[in-house]
Amino acid sequence: MTSPAPTLALVQAGRRLAGRAVVRDLDLELARGEVLGLLGVNGAGKTTTLRMIAGVLAPTSGSVRLGGEDLYEHPELARRRIGYLPETPPLHVELDAEEYLRFCARLHGVARGAVTTAVARAIERCELGEMRRRPLGTLSKGYRQRVGVAQAIVHEPELIVLDEPASGFDPVQALRLRELVRGLGREHAVVLSTHVLPDVSACCDRVAILHRGELRHAGEVHASATTSLRVGVARALRADDWRALPMVVAAEPLDLGHWRVELAPGSAIDAFAAAVVAHGFGLTALGADALPLESTFLAIAASDAPAAVA
Amino acid sequence: MNATLLIAAHEWRRLRAQPFAWTLAAVVLAFMAWQFLLALQAFVDLAPKLGGLKDAPGVTDLVAIPLLRSLSNLLLPLVPLVTMRAFAGERRAATLPLLLASGVGNLRIVLGKFVGAFGYVLVLVALVAVMPLALAAGTTLDLGKIAAALLGLALFAGALTGIGLVCSAWASQPALAAAAAFALSALLAVVDAGARLQGVSNSGINYLALPTHLEPFFRGIVASVDIVYFVLAAALALALATRRLDTLRGSAD
Repeated sequence: MTSPAPTLALVQAGRRLAGRAVVRDLDLELARGEVLGLLGVNGAGKTTTLRMIAGVLAPTSGSVRLGGEDLYEHPELARRRIGYLPETPPLHVELDAEEYLRFCARLHGVARGAVTTAVARAIERCELGEMRRRPLGTLSKGYRQRVGVAQAIVHEPELIVLDEPASGFDPVQALRLRELVRGLGREHAVVLSTHVLPDVSACCDRVAILHRGELRHAGEVHASATTSLRVGVARALRADDWRALPMVVAAEPLDLGHWRVELAPGSAIDAFAAAVVAHGFGLTALGADALPLESTFLAIAASDAPAAVA
Repeated sequence: MNATLLIAAHEWRRLRAQPFAWTLAAVVLAFMAWQFLLALQAFVDLAPKLGGLKDAPGVTDLVAIPLLRSLSNLLLPLVPLVTMRAFAGERRAATLPLLLASGVGNLRIVLGKFVGAFGYVLVLVALVAVMPLALAAGTTLDLGKIAAALLGLALFAGALTGIGLVCSAWASQPALAAAAAFALSALLAVVDAGARLQGVSNSGINYLALPTHLEPFFRGIVASVDIVYFVLAAALALALATRRLDTLRGSAD
């Protein structure tokens, strides 16, 4: 028995614009129930990649496959199965949220009789209830962004593509967006482009890092997070002192009282904490080091040499 | 509802929500009503002198047809104002991806925009036509001639709408789209002026000119060659607009 085709597959996908290769040889797969974070510095090719995935921009090489079918041989697939929020929400500002979402639902093939329910659900999920009758042109940037997210999910697509959805959000709205994306990720396949690394850590199952149009890293977001710790100690230590602990493979001082410590894969954090206490290092703080993703990202952004895909 | 009609209905909804569309309609109707009243007054003043003439022109030839001819002149700057936002406005507001990512083909998007804009222009034409038609309550009108003139106006408006749409698809700014559409339409309106001054009325350049094909309708003549000209002009413009959308899909805009 063959396994079902992934919801989204990029096969050696590339795109040239004005004679320049903006993205090259992208290979990615995404299944329903997964959230993929797409990271990259400005000009890395994120938006071009998302536009190819959304069916707006045809690849000049390779293919974009939706459930195993080529999106550009069957462009009608996009109508019902893809929801896309571009970097700037595509809002018709003279309409109110409900009118606009009704049009979006019908445009994406929702049957006339199901439109009211679909719009009500999108409005509820994006918390637009109070604003549903306001002209979109009068809404704040955060609410406009929410309407943009609502138009991407109103037809319950299999694949949701969000380009910088948290842009313009205040911290509370950003937190709610993370919850929304996590919720969407349970039922749909979601591709999320963002500059905000904590958003990727909080929302995404997997991360892909683009640099200069190439995929430089792809892997699980949380795969290595438990092996890298940020440790506060009261005693002045040397790197050799850490090597006395059997589970430590590397230690790097951050300042006088803090170290970044890498544990061997599979090491238990409570055993490590017990060992630190037993050795009398004077443990003052212990937490997961949030930096592996950041350090990977920064290392890729700073280097121009192609790296192996994980 | 298919995607073309859905987009057209959405365009009407957007026009209805914009003061611009209402203001434009109000200005056009006020201007045409003023012209209608002037023409009617002139006819009333002239009527006693016409009574003694054999085959004297009636109210249709002296009021209704001149009014519709005047409307055709007004459509040259009016239609570009209606169509300028169709694509250029979407690009400026970064809303075009909504349509491009919807899986609806480019031709259907263009047709939807066309039906939306054309519908608005036809409503204006119909409202202006009500003015001379209202005279039927008190006098006899040549309804066949008026119907021919209205058919010609509708075809003429269709061609102008197509030209406006293709300019809107090519330009990145609505004002530029309106200026280009007006310039192109005006050029097609006067392209044979030189030939006509020389007394030439059946050359190739005469065939290209819009008035060559519109005037017969105002004389009550419905010729297939004129209908084909306007339909071809609109179809060519819509094909070019569709081609342009294909290019926009492949660009960085």
